Amino acid sequence: MTPQLTTEQQATQAGTTDCALLGETHLTGEQFGALMGGMTEVAGPDISQAEAHLLVCEQCAAELASLREAISLFREASNAYADEELRSRPRWILPARRSLSHSLIPAYWVAATAMFLTALLPMQVMRRHSVAPPAAGVSSVAVSNTASDTQSDEALLEDVNSEISASVPTSMQALADPTADASTANNETSVPTTDQKKD
Amino acid sequence: MAFEGAQMFPSTSVSLGNEARATPLDDLENVVALYQPRVFRFLLATLRDRDAAETLTQETFLRAWSARASFREDCSVATWLIRIALNLARDHTRTGRFRFWKRVTASAVDVAEVAAFVPTHERSAEAQLIAKQQVAGIWETVAGLSARQRSIFLLRFMEEMEIPEIAAVTGLPLGTVKSHLYRALAIIRAQHDSSPNNIKTHGATTKETE
Repeated sequence: MTPQLTTEQQATQAGTTDCALLGETHLTGEQFGALMGGMTEVAGPDISQAEAHLLVCEQCAAELASLREAISLFREASNAYADEELRSRPRWILPARRSLSHSLIPAYWVAATAMFLTALLPMQVMRRHSVAPPAAGVSSVAVSNTASDTQSDEALLEDVNSEISASVPTSMQALADPTADASTANNETSVPTTDQKKD
Repeated sequence: MAFEGAQMFPSTSVSLGNEARATPLDDLENVVALYQPRVFRFLLATLRDRDAAETLTQETFLRAWSARASFREDCSVATWLIRIALNLARDHTRTGRFRFWKRVTASAVDVAEVAAFVPTHERSAEAQLIAKQQVAGIWETVAGLSARQRSIFLLRFMEEMEIPEIAAVTGLPLGTVKSHLYRALAIIRAQHDSSPNNIKTHGATTKETE
């Protein structure tokens, strides 16, 4: 006697996994999303039903696999593009900069110290030469120089102050009183005339 | 705006004082070296603008370093950085200037450039072409999602974060994250099913499913 097969067994034996034969409906949008998004732990008890459906429904399994593959390609392509974009900008390569800067730090310090000492040594030598022998004479000259410098500075400042406080700058004096200039000019022109007359 | 690299950041040897708690972000050069590609990828896919992604990546690390004292290590450094990046991207996209320039800027990402990076996996020329078209289709569909749907989709499928982690990064309840992800997937699935290449491959399937 041939045992009675269930619909599912009949479908499997026939080599087909059409849900219509099994009397099942395809995955709902929510089930599909839950399987795609990996939300099995938060999608409720019907996720196991959806997973069981995938085992017998080639169509749903193929659609899910196709979308999974497309999204996987999207991730790989996007990441590869971003990484290439990052590589094309040399200043972003931090590890290289880091190793370079770390390796150069001692060299920077040695160079800076050497330059400092080189600059300091002649100054010390000059100081010894200038301060040691004729202390009184040199210092008096230095003091007198400083005093004369101060005086000349003060004179210069006074000149500047008077220039600023003057209503008309010296360079513009000629234009300050055109009448006076004219009379002066007339006088100047007349003087030779009188002189000429005298002559 | 050019990224100045490590010199933009304060020296990692800066003393934090005796009271300051040591955090994984103190060694900023190392943190940048480890997480910069990931933050840049996420921002580039979110904003689709190379210059903006570069600038905001730099800003992400600067903010992370400045606020390192508030990092309580209740999540990973990567999660914390992505959270900062997401907030910066959100602020950036809210500005009218971004909306106006996003389609005309010279540094906008061209979908064909992205599709060119589809791995070959020893496919035939035809299969490679189909794969490129599928990637281009998804890239364009993701661009059309709402800001939240896009962020959540990218966090799930590019960053490969679990749902609770996405909820932590976005500050949204689990249920809200799930519903945004469902909607995003439904839109992408619809685009994928309607794509000519997919109909060619799975045409019978699509018809019967409908």
